[in-house]
Amino acid sequence: MKQSLYERLIQYILDDQDRFYRVAYSYTRHQEDALDAVQSAVCKALEAHERIKNADAIRTWFYKILINECLTVLKKRGRVVLTADTAKQEEAYYEKGYEQGGDIEQELEKLEMDVQVIIKLRFFEEMSLKEISSITGYNLNTVKSKLYRGLKLLKENIQEADLWVD
Amino acid sequence: MGRLENMKERYDAVVIPAELNDRIQQEITRSRRQQAEKKAASRRHTFRKMIRGMAAAAAAAGILFTTALNTSPVFAKEAAQLPVIGGVARILTFRSYETEKDDIAVSVEIPTIEMIAADTGITVDGINQEILERCEQYARDALLRAEEYRTAFLETGGTPDEWAEHNIKITVGYEIRQQSNDYLSFVVRGTENWTNAYSESKYYNLDLNTGRPVTLQDLLGSDYVELADKSIWEQIARRQNAGEVFFTAEEGGFTGISEYVRFYINRDNRPVIVFEKYEIAPGSSGEVEFEIGGN
Repeated sequence: MKQSLYERLIQYILDDQDRFYRVAYSYTRHQEDALDAVQSAVCKALEAHERIKNADAIRTWFYKILINECLTVLKKRGRVVLTADTAKQEEAYYEKGYEQGGDIEQELEKLEMDVQVIIKLRFFEEMSLKEISSITGYNLNTVKSKLYRGLKLLKENIQEADLWVD
Repeated sequence: MGRLENMKERYDAVVIPAELNDRIQQEITRSRRQQAEKKAASRRHTFRKMIRGMAAAAAAAGILFTTALNTSPVFAKEAAQLPVIGGVARILTFRSYETEKDDIAVSVEIPTIEMIAADTGITVDGINQEILERCEQYARDALLRAEEYRTAFLETGGTPDEWAEHNIKITVGYEIRQQSNDYLSFVVRGTENWTNAYSESKYYNLDLNTGRPVTLQDLLGSDYVELADKSIWEQIARRQNAGEVFFTAEEGGFTGISEYVRFYINRDNRPVIVFEKYEIAPGSSGEVEFEIGGN
């Protein structure tokens, strides 16, 4: 049984690698950092594969590791230097798509980190609130209230968001 | 369209670098290697426990293990065709077969030791039985693994045609290293062409004067550990200078030989220490060998 969970984890990683990269890139906005975050998440997941309890939990379990790695990369980078120069450099890393009308991405990045995480999981990865709850460790109501608070801060039309979500 | 939806579109449009897949494959290969090592270590452990158990049971009951070799006409014909190198014993194919089912090809060639000289008092039945069981076990396990792989492949949307293109092949066979009046040395291998994780090689070295397995101590003397380590370090240094890559100690590279070190005896009757693929060097190096005691 353990062996086959291991194989399933490998299959899952191979199948969803593009998604992992997008998640990582949404935090780091930097190709090399995103690759590093994904690689070390894969490394850690494979090392800890015995802790997966059942195949259904592979996805949320892996996201927990991945997001943790992304935040670690950000923390490390934050410690280096944050002069005006590097801030400018960071902006230069934005892909083309982000340059035009990418203001909502920048607004999103100003929110508290846990709110960002929840919004990204919800809208980018289209996760259910329950899945987000098990990834972040917050209970369902907390996830909900943080999500709505975040959307309000983005001055998003909540009704529209609601429709789109469900 | 709302801003969130626009953002999602931009998110989905992020370009995936080609390097991503390489880096993920790298991690998977490394992890598979660790898994295989863990498995091998626990297998060695149970094997030793089993041997101890068997020895105790045999001693208690006074059981004698004997094996009957099946001598078929084919077997006799093959034996007759092999040139006799030593006058004492030789290695020949005991059983060979090839099968194919569900596009999984299996090719098995099981060796056996045959004593030619009648009055040596050496019995090889036990070792022959072990070889036979080991080979058959490997072929069975490998076939199960391949079938599991096939099921998973088909269940996840692969077609039978795509499966056939995998050309899955399981091979069990042997290679003779030395066959003289003093030593028999050969390696029995099991491999699956789609994964390295379960490859197995077992080296057999038999002293034909005593009928016992040859140890490194027999060949190199009581300080064989120091001697072998020194020689391997020197050879690694020389080969690194020539551009060959070895893992560092931190990466799991060579740190000295262990009690499980594998070796065979070459045509010059010298031991050659063998490290498995990935054991002390990158996979591209394959198995890494060091002859000990030559100039």
